[in-house]
Amino acid sequence: MITSHPDGVTLNDYVDDGLTAAARADVRDHLASCAECQTVVDGLRGVQSAASRLPLLQPRREAWPRIERSLRASVPARRPVPWAAWLAVAASLLVAVALGFQIASRRAQPASSTADADTDATAQSIEAELRQAEEHYQKAISGLEQIKNDGKGSLDPQTAATLEKNLSVVDQAISESRAALKVQPTSEPAQASLLESFKAKISLLQDTVALINEMRQGPALTQKGS
Amino acid sequence: MRQRDTRAFPSNRVTVNRTDEESPDLVARCQKGDVEAFAELYARHSARIFSLAARMAGSPETGEDLLQEIFLQAYRKIGGFKGGSAIGTWLYRMALNHCLDFVRSRQAKMDKATATIDDDERPAALAARRDSPGERIDLERAMQQLPAGCREVFVLHDVEGYEHKEIAAMLGIAEGTSKSQVFKARMKLRALLT
Repeated sequence: MITSHPDGVTLNDYVDDGLTAAARADVRDHLASCAECQTVVDGLRGVQSAASRLPLLQPRREAWPRIERSLRASVPARRPVPWAAWLAVAASLLVAVALGFQIASRRAQPASSTADADTDATAQSIEAELRQAEEHYQKAISGLEQIKNDGKGSLDPQTAATLEKNLSVVDQAISESRAALKVQPTSEPAQASLLESFKAKISLLQDTVALINEMRQGPALTQKGS
Repeated sequence: MRQRDTRAFPSNRVTVNRTDEESPDLVARCQKGDVEAFAELYARHSARIFSLAARMAGSPETGEDLLQEIFLQAYRKIGGFKGGSAIGTWLYRMALNHCLDFVRSRQAKMDKATATIDDDERPAALAARRDSPGERIDLERAMQQLPAGCREVFVLHDVEGYEHKEIAAMLGIAEGTSKSQVFKARMKLRALLT
């Protein structure tokens, strides 16, 4: 039983229901016979209740134009291209280039006087290596295309359209080389053309990704330079 | 945080609300740096953020400055938003942290304002104390008159609904200090509003 007035923080805890059951009962008993403390409790409850019902405040209309200007002058930090994506592209490219080099070396070897069977085996081996190289090029291309598509929004529509047009020209060359190889799998010009087309596509995609990065950093570079 | 259904706008206790259901596309556009998308994000969430900022700062003007800084920070950081929470929740957390930084930096520059409040906490003295009659003002303006330090704790507890334990952790103060500040703020406000 509280004989003297409870302190203010205790009354506040009483309002917030933050007392133990026993302490709460003591305060309640005290309040029953103390008008002064009851007045304090009523006041605390009144403020607590009013604060919990405060409506949201609206910023002035002029606030957004000011914010908009600062956003436009700033550079959004976009999701960086994950290292894993770059590494996958780089790994596929490395294998593809190595296989392409191997194919080219084999073709450069002077024709020997070995039997036709050996020639057939070599041709089959080159074909298999070509398929492998194609797979790795395709993998690298898919990785780069993914990166390009994620960042496509950073390019202005006209640039994006030009790049897409160029890519479709390279795709056409790849299709034609493939068609030629289907008819004549050992055709050296067709093999060379396919590998070159892959290289061209990768180079174009790399340029596109570089351009996307440049566009993202553009305003910052401009600001630094000004 | 405690749950209070009577709150007109249960700001920080809402993790997903109706507006967030429409957000995936909006977030994607914001992540591409689309300022128009940010305008939409602003339209949906600015009142909530501004209310927090203006009340914590004790001034609508400073609140607008903080609002600008918060949205600029969001614009720069939204690329890292992974969608683990609703965009409104992410934005609110960022706003709260920004406001807390503001409070901490201001606190470092000035003496704790508790000294300006009458430390006599005896209920009889408090009950007897009244400001000048006829000075009835609304709660919003009365809160602006609270000393810094006291006001932030009151806003976090009574308006935003955080527990004393959470406030103590956020502001680096003792839980007892948080309770004491809320009590002082309530008494001061009661005096101003009576």
